[in-house]
This record gives sequence, structure tokens and C-alpha cells, in this order.
Amino acid sequence: MKTLLGLTVANLKGLTRDRAALFWTFFFPVMFVLLFGVLFSGSGDSSKITVGYVDLDHSAASAQVRADFALYAPILVLQDGSLDAEKAAMQNGDVSAVIVIPAGLGNVVGSTPGQPLAMTIYIDPSQSQTTQVVQGAVNGVASGYSMAVATNGGAPALIVAQPQQLSSTNISTVTYLVPSILAMALMQLGVFAAVPLVQQREKGILKRMGATPLERWKLVASNILLRLIVAAVDTVLIIGIGMAAFHIQIVGNLVLAAGFVFLGAGAFLALGFMLASFLKTEEQATGVVQVVQMPLMFLSGIFFPFNFMPDFMRSIARLLPLTYLGDGLRQSMVNAPQVAPLAMDAAILGGWLVVCLAISARSFRWE
Amino acid sequence: MTQSGQPVIRVADLKKYYGDVKAVDGVTFEVARGEVFGMLGPNGAGKTTTIEVLEGLRGPDAGTVEVFGLDVCKHPESIKQRIGVQLQSVSLYPRLTVTELLDLFGSFFDHHVPTKQLIDAVDLGERAKAYSMNLSGGQQQRLSIALALVNDPDLVFLDEPTTGLDPQARRSLWDLVKGLQEKGKSVMLTTHYMEEAAELCDRVAIMDHGRILEMGTVPELIGRRFKERAVFFDTSPKLPPEKLAQLGGVTRASQEDGQTLLYSKDVPATIGALLAMADELDFQPHNLGIRQATLEDVFLDLTGRALRD
Repeated sequence: MKTLLGLTVANLKGLTRDRAALFWTFFFPVMFVLLFGVLFSGSGDSSKITVGYVDLDHSAASAQVRADFALYAPILVLQDGSLDAEKAAMQNGDVSAVIVIPAGLGNVVGSTPGQPLAMTIYIDPSQSQTTQVVQGAVNGVASGYSMAVATNGGAPALIVAQPQQLSSTNISTVTYLVPSILAMALMQLGVFAAVPLVQQREKGILKRMGATPLERWKLVASNILLRLIVAAVDTVLIIGIGMAAFHIQIVGNLVLAAGFVFLGAGAFLALGFMLASFLKTEEQATGVVQVVQMPLMFLSGIFFPFNFMPDFMRSIARLLPLTYLGDGLRQSMVNAPQVAPLAMDAAILGGWLVVCLAISARSFRWE
Repeated sequence: MTQSGQPVIRVADLKKYYGDVKAVDGVTFEVARGEVFGMLGPNGAGKTTTIEVLEGLRGPDAGTVEVFGLDVCKHPESIKQRIGVQLQSVSLYPRLTVTELLDLFGSFFDHHVPTKQLIDAVDLGERAKAYSMNLSGGQQQRLSIALALVNDPDLVFLDEPTTGLDPQARRSLWDLVKGLQEKGKSVMLTTHYMEEAAELCDRVAIMDHGRILEMGTVPELIGRRFKERAVFFDTSPKLPPEKLAQLGGVTRASQEDGQTLLYSKDVPATIGALLAMADELDFQPHNLGIRQATLEDVFLDLTGRALRD
């Protein structure tokens, strides 16, 4: 155990003392988050918010409420429809929230005060700004209506907003991008691991270790441990900056998300090991690693949502493991729309991990 | 050799092939406890392959290989606990310091020597905090010797420890190796420097094309082949080589590197005859001299070529 830790610390020192390695492992993904964050934050919030509007009352009173929303026309666009249709529209991302005018609005006027009628609004808490705008408008209309109807001053609230959570897929660009960039960083840290391995073999370091009683599994384990530590640091950095600077909200299952972080890091580390098995010189490794990571980066739906890609690109993306890591992370962290079910994402990444490890175990040369 | 008891290394009919290449083709030797044993030969002779089989880095294709009486194939771990290894031209983790590397390697062994003591032993005190990539060639080589000594080994393998070093660094390494022997350690080293083998080794095996051609102490090897002394001078085109061998006292003549060598049982007669012939053919023998035969002569005689880098 002491040996394993010692080796891991040695590898960690090697990494942190190498400026180029530091840049690629930590600063590059952080730079991406900052760059895309600044580019895309606010783009979704400046335009009008479309909201589903469901009138279950169909009375003169509800028509009055509908008219009151006209005050918010500059920021809210109402789209009328049935409850089911509007909830579905919200889940698909066509509307950002749904306002439901309950049946019995007409009767509430003049009835016993003190029992306000609940006006349900469906909102997605991961989109705080949209939610605030919608809630503000609804509260404004509700209290305005209560006051206008109650002629005998000191009006009690006749209707109150009752928020309910409903996941919307219409997440902001930044929210989509941050887990995607994390996926990219995990891919790079795995694939790039091939370079120091090839370097250590080329320089005879692996061979020299072979002449000591050090067991080989410890050498492999320390490499894995190092990369998983880096994966954890990258995750905290990237998500932390996303939350602090661009207000993205992590609403998913954290255990599941952590599982995807490590599964993804493992799968791409296995890919890195496999590359290292077939590469001989450090120059070769640096080149091939770029040839592998570039297409992964640009064809895996990381920088543009899967649904926006043309058909042929989508079929390429479906072949790439990074697509499924990005999808798994986005689903588990920010409830983004799925490319594939979570179980399938996990299964595909697990498959890559096993296959690459098996090939590495057969083909890896220590000198 | 007065060492007694079981040999630390016993190799019998070792063979190691790479495809059609017979890197080691039937090698047999023993190294006694406390002995410094040298393997001498040109590049590609099979020295490194032999030493790497002994270190447990390669499996033999045939033959018996024992270290401390243990089969290297069956007990690699316990052998590795007790040997020190310095490989040919290895660089280490570039961004670890001398101290960190020694600590790290020490942690691989059940017992290890305090790092400070090792650093002092190889005189790297001033560079203890330097990254290994910033060390000079001689310092790197001293570090790799220190790493080989990290477990206080009974047997140390040094594969071409002084190749590429300047003469001063080479001398300081020789002192290190002599120090090891004084501490009672056994050493097996390879080299392609004759003077190094002559200076350090109790016994020498001369290797070429995967085989041991001759083995023994340096005086033995020379005495076995050369009863003569060598008369040497700069080669001149005016001298017909076939006539040289017929000069008085000469047993053999050879020309190498612009120098003519006459191995002679009767040096005065040889020189007299040489000067007479020089007069007759009107040439001056430049840089004329006489010396004892050396290991270099033995090698030349055995392989028909000089031993060079």
C-alpha cells in the first residue's frame, strides 16, 4: 500500500511539475468552460419566455385573468392548450413553464374568504431565471386579480400560485455545455495517459522498474489511481466554475453523476492504455493521441446538441464512446434530453472499458 | 581466486534467440562471492542479453541460470530483493529529484539504505534536490549506481557503467566499483573498454557473436596467447606485409589503425632486422616502440577485429 501511494505521489509530482501536462489536464477544460460560458450565458434569457397556458375554468373570470397577463407581454408569450399537451410541450422544451387556471375560478369570487384557490404552475428549478420571471408574473396577476375582485378593502388572497416541479429539456446552452466539457476533459485525461506511458517505456523506466521486486499490477494501479484523482479534481473545477460563474444548477442524481465520471475516466484510460500498447515512440504517441481525440471532441455532440446535428453526423456520433459519456453526464447532472437511456450509456462505456483493457493486457509491452 | 563456497552466479549453456538471431548461443560461467566479473565484447556480442536474463528481465530459451543458488525463472522476486541493477542508458522520471527517486526505489524493497547515506556514497550531495533531467551524464550515471545500491544488494549488475562518460567521470566510477568490492559485494559488469576490464575485474570473459571465446584473469588471458612482446610503429606503404612476418624473432604480424604490430620472441633481433630492412627500402619507422601484449591484443587475436565503441 505504501509502495502504491509512493508511486502515485511520484506520478502526481511528475504531472504537476510538467507545465504542458498541467495545461492540458486542468487549464484547457477550464478555459473552455469560461469561453463558452461567456459566449452563451444570457443568450437564452434576453428573449421572451414562452409559457404554456391551460384554462380549466372557461369562465368570464378566467378570461379576465388571461387578459391580466397582457401586462407581461414584453417578457411572457402565452401558448394556450390542454394540460397534457402543454406539460408534454414543456418536457420537450417547447415551453419553459406551464400555468394552469383551475376550474372554479368563477365561483371563488364571492365565496368564503380564507380558502384561496390554488393556481398550479409547472416550473423547472434548474432554470432559476426563467422560474423567477414566471413566478413573479403569476404572483402579480394573482394578487392584482384578488384586489380588483374584492371590492370591500383588505382583500384576502383569492388565488395563490402553487409551484410544481417538472423537468424541462429546454436547458440553457451553458447548462448543456458544462457537463459536455467535463466529458471532454475526462476523455482527454484518459487518452493523453498514453503519452507518459510510452515515454516511460521508451526511456527504459518501465524496464528499470521490472528489475526491482515491484509488482507490475502496482505500476498499473498507481497509473489508474493518479488519473482518477485528476478526474475528481477536473470534475470539481469544471462544475464548480459552471455553478459559480454561470449559475448552472446540478439537479440530477449526484451518485449517478459520480459513477459516470469514474466510469468515463476508466473507459478512456483503458483506451489510452490500448493506444500505448501499439505506439512505440513519444512523438508517435503525441501525434496519434491528437488524431484520436480531435474527432471525438467534435463529432460527439459535445458542443452542439445531438438533435441539431445533421443525420450523417448523428450516425457517426452514435459510434463514438464520448457521445455516451457526454449523454450520461448531462442526464445525470442537469436532466438534459437523452441521446440514449442511461443504462445504455453505462453499458457502452463499460463495454469500451472491458474491450480496451483486454486488448491492452494482451498487447502491452513493458520495453 | 580464493573465494570459497557457493558461486553467486551459475550459468550453464544459456541460450537466448530472437527469431533467427542467436543473441546468446550457449554460454557457461560462474561468478564467485566477492568477485568482480567482467564481460568484454563489442556491441551485439550478447553481453546485455546475458545480464538481463540474470536480472530476471528476460526468460532464457535454454540452459540453467542460477543466482544465489536460486533458479531465476522460479524465484525472480526473492532474487530481485537481493540484487542491484544498473541498466544500459536508462533515464529516470525526469521531474523527480535525486532524493525523491532514491526514496521511491527504496520503497520497492523490504529493506533499504537511508537515502542520505546513498547520496553521500555517490557524492551527489550538492544535487540532492535537482531533477534527474537536469543532471550531467556522469551525475546521472552515479545516480543510477546509487539506485542499484538502494537495497544494499549482495550482487550488483552494471551494464556498461561508463559508456559515454569523460575520462574523469569514468575514473570516479571506477573508484565506486572498487569500493563495492571492498565491502564484499559481488559485481558483474559489461564493458567494451579493455582498460576498464583490466582495471576492475578479477576475471574477464571475452564474448562475441553470443559465445564466450575466452575466460580467465587478465594476466592469464594474455599469457595464454602471448609469450611475445609487441614491436609497433606507424604503418608504411613501402613495407610489404608478407616480408614482416619473416623478420627475425617475429611470430605474427598485423596491421590495424595505421599501426603495424610485430609479435616477437626476440625483440633485439626483430628490431635489428626491421631497421636493416628499413635502410634497404629507404623508409623511416616512425613512432617505433615496444610493449607487453594487452587485453586488446588478446581480443584482436581472438576476433580478428578491434574492440571499439
